[in-house]
Amino acid sequence: MGDVLDSMLDLMRRLPPTKIEENVAALTALCPDYADDFLGSVDQPLILKVDRTTGKEYLACDYNRDGDSYRSPWSNEYDPPIDDGTLPSAKMRKLEVAANEAFDTYRELYFEGGVSSVFLWELEDGGFAGVVLLKKVLNPSTASEPSGSWDSIHVFEAVERGRNAHYKLTSTIMLQLVTRSPGTGEVNLSGSMTRQSEMDAAVPDFSSHVPNTGRMIEDMEIKMRNLLQEVYFGKTRDVVYDLRSVESLEYARRQRELQKELVGFMKR
Amino acid sequence: MDHQTRIEAASKFLLQAPPGEINDVLNDVRMIINDDGSLQEGILPVLHEYNVTQFITTEVPGVEHQVIISNASKVSQEEGFDQDTSRFVDPQSSKSFAFDHLRLEASDLQPFEFFAETEPLRTALQTATTNYVKDHFHDAVSAVLPSPLASSSSEEGPKKFIIQIVGNKYNPSNFWAGRWRSSYTLDTESGELTGKIDVTVHYYEQGNVQLASSHAPSISLRASLASSCTQPSNAIKILALIGDVEKKYQESLADAYHLMGDKTFKNLRRALPLTRQKIDWDKVTGYKLGAELNASRTGLNPSD
Repeated sequence: MGDVLDSMLDLMRRLPPTKIEENVAALTALCPDYADDFLGSVDQPLILKVDRTTGKEYLACDYNRDGDSYRSPWSNEYDPPIDDGTLPSAKMRKLEVAANEAFDTYRELYFEGGVSSVFLWELEDGGFAGVVLLKKVLNPSTASEPSGSWDSIHVFEAVERGRNAHYKLTSTIMLQLVTRSPGTGEVNLSGSMTRQSEMDAAVPDFSSHVPNTGRMIEDMEIKMRNLLQEVYFGKTRDVVYDLRSVESLEYARRQRELQKELVGFMKR
Repeated sequence: MDHQTRIEAASKFLLQAPPGEINDVLNDVRMIINDDGSLQEGILPVLHEYNVTQFITTEVPGVEHQVIISNASKVSQEEGFDQDTSRFVDPQSSKSFAFDHLRLEASDLQPFEFFAETEPLRTALQTATTNYVKDHFHDAVSAVLPSPLASSSSEEGPKKFIIQIVGNKYNPSNFWAGRWRSSYTLDTESGELTGKIDVTVHYYEQGNVQLASSHAPSISLRASLASSCTQPSNAIKILALIGDVEKKYQESLADAYHLMGDKTFKNLRRALPLTRQKIDWDKVTGYKLGAELNASRTGLNPSD
């Protein structure tokens, strides 16, 4: 039975990252029995929402959803409003507010725009978990400028052990870059990648979880951004040159032969 | 969800399969649909569509080279798909063959004679294309076909010629695959040359990154060449123009990479903040508190 879920996830690893949403929708419709497990294992681009109370934008995903409503990290209210929506405890909410402020600053410093949201929840067996969401969309002012979008989803778990805490982080970044010009037509470079890390850090007081997770997520995003830019995009560019050579291959072959001849001549 | 809708939904996944991964996608789809009998029947039209648009190459018994499956090489030019009459032409060996779109197997070879009068031009274009491909592609297959696919029994000769190139590189053990497809149509009546270049690359080592690019260049022939493009001796000039276009395209693709990898990437997310330093998280979290303290202090002592 698990094979169906594996196949659904394998498809998501192969099909174009530009079509994540429609493929996820099609797969959940095809396999409703696996929908919950499947949706819990795939990441989708984040949805932008506006907090009705504060007018501030926030991000919606499975972690702040209750039924058909989404909770805003700014006002702590559900939209559309519901009476019995799950809310974090007072202690958790206090940390959530501090985390939202800190990651809002992080967002401004690294993204110079975009939207961030942090949601926290208590775990049944002690400790707590959270998700840090970041999204930026580039809307080009002219047709020739590239457009693009960045979505980060950082899910972490924190378990306190005395004055220390153990953190587990799973980060996913989804990226899309599109450029259109008369010389190149349309070029679409898109990707998603997931990485995990663990860390131990001192927790002198409960609010220390914010700088601790902040450092862990910042390091992870720097690492993943570099991987995407250098390794992933670099690799796809190299493959284009593996397919077609700008230089004449015949010329290169002749040069090699000429060199061989010269070496043979010098030896004589 | 009824049966037909399920097959249709599954078909959409097959059409999105990256280069060289159609069998992996098909395996996943088999597991999801869990009804091989009707799946096999239902997806044949989609596999046909995938094979002809992706310029899938196949081995043909008794023929040394790989052969491209495409709409231009389809013997029956009728709309729609019928596996029983799905035959294609290998222009280089002048043979037609039946093709199984699921097993990707060619069979039942029969001779195919092209329309005689235009053969010198077609073969000259094929020779020039073969030489060009050898010079710039590491491993590619090409074909030159008359359009319509006129045979010796046709009443009228073809007015157009289609030049196709497909280069594939599959490296599943290193998690990457790529496909370069280009197709050019030479209209011998108007002297126009139009083309389409599609490049798809998939890199999936612990991730899923894809390049999908599509370009439709229009190449203008000099008036003297346009009026004499049916002369076989000019085939080499036409391929030189194609070579020039593909070179320029590859160079502007490199420019697009540079622009997106550098500027657009930075516009989305900087590598480091403007200060070129990582964030001092103790300050960031203390900032708000500090601001509040400052505000209250200012309140107490306005001259501060």
